[in-house]
Amino acid sequence: MYRLSNLAAITPVAKQSINGESATAPRSDDRSKFYLHPGQLFGSPDGYAVTTILGSCVSVCLWDPLTKIGGINHFLLPTDIGDDLGSSLRFGDLAVRELIEEMLDLGAEPHQLRAKLFGGACVLEAFRSRENHLGTKNVKIAREVLDAADIPIIGHDVGGDRGRKLIFHTDNGSAWVKQL
Amino acid sequence: MAPRKILLVDDSETILQMEQMILEKSSYELVMARDGEEGIAKALETRPDLILMDVVMPKMNGFEAVKHLRENEQTRRVPIVMVTSKAEAESMETGYESGCSDYIIKPIDTLELVAKVKNLLGE
Repeated sequence: MYRLSNLAAITPVAKQSINGESATAPRSDDRSKFYLHPGQLFGSPDGYAVTTILGSCVSVCLWDPLTKIGGINHFLLPTDIGDDLGSSLRFGDLAVRELIEEMLDLGAEPHQLRAKLFGGACVLEAFRSRENHLGTKNVKIAREVLDAADIPIIGHDVGGDRGRKLIFHTDNGSAWVKQL
Repeated sequence: MAPRKILLVDDSETILQMEQMILEKSSYELVMARDGEEGIAKALETRPDLILMDVVMPKMNGFEAVKHLRENEQTRRVPIVMVTSKAEAESMETGYESGCSDYIIKPIDTLELVAKVKNLLGE
């Protein structure tokens, strides 16, 4: 788990809600703030507002409603090609598995876990219809790993042609997205 | 088929050399600029297929340069990847609002850079 000392301030702005939650930006005053960089994951049983910015990258948010434990990752590429490349959390297949492991280590119940999926944009119109662009492949691998772990995806905002700013609240599983 | 052209814009010689070393292996034609203003001039002069743009540079920063490029009919559709430090990454909201296509974080990772470049070039 990565914890940074340089925490981002969250400015309330209009954001798209996910799953019919309030369209008003979340109040993050009472939560600790954490900025998640590409190739990192973060999980906590405490109240954190985790912010990240996604282009073709994908974030999986996991939440256990029973224990109120939440976690999120931010990966860049779908699969590890087997090189010795240091941070495996940059690869979707490993980053999603690691996130699940992290949630369980923190005390989450495996059968309670539910997921939300964000990112995977393709900013170039010419390539958007292609099934093999990076964003599509990133979303696909996340779905595959979650499916294999029997974790339902209860919300998503993926694909499209714009980057996204995502704020995830670890204590209640809520997520807000602003299209950039 | 002519090699795809990539414009590298950065005020750090080290970063330019690193990007050059990584991308030369894939036989791209590389053009270099050392600040935002020169980046715009080189983009208009050489018409690259893709641009790698640093954020903090003298004369004109990367976000401003991207905005200018997006306002110009000749360069408005060129994919632009911002190359940013971890500390600057939180300002990437501004980068996307300026019109960048994606971003990568320094230190530059070979696999990540090549994957993003190939993706944006449709390879």
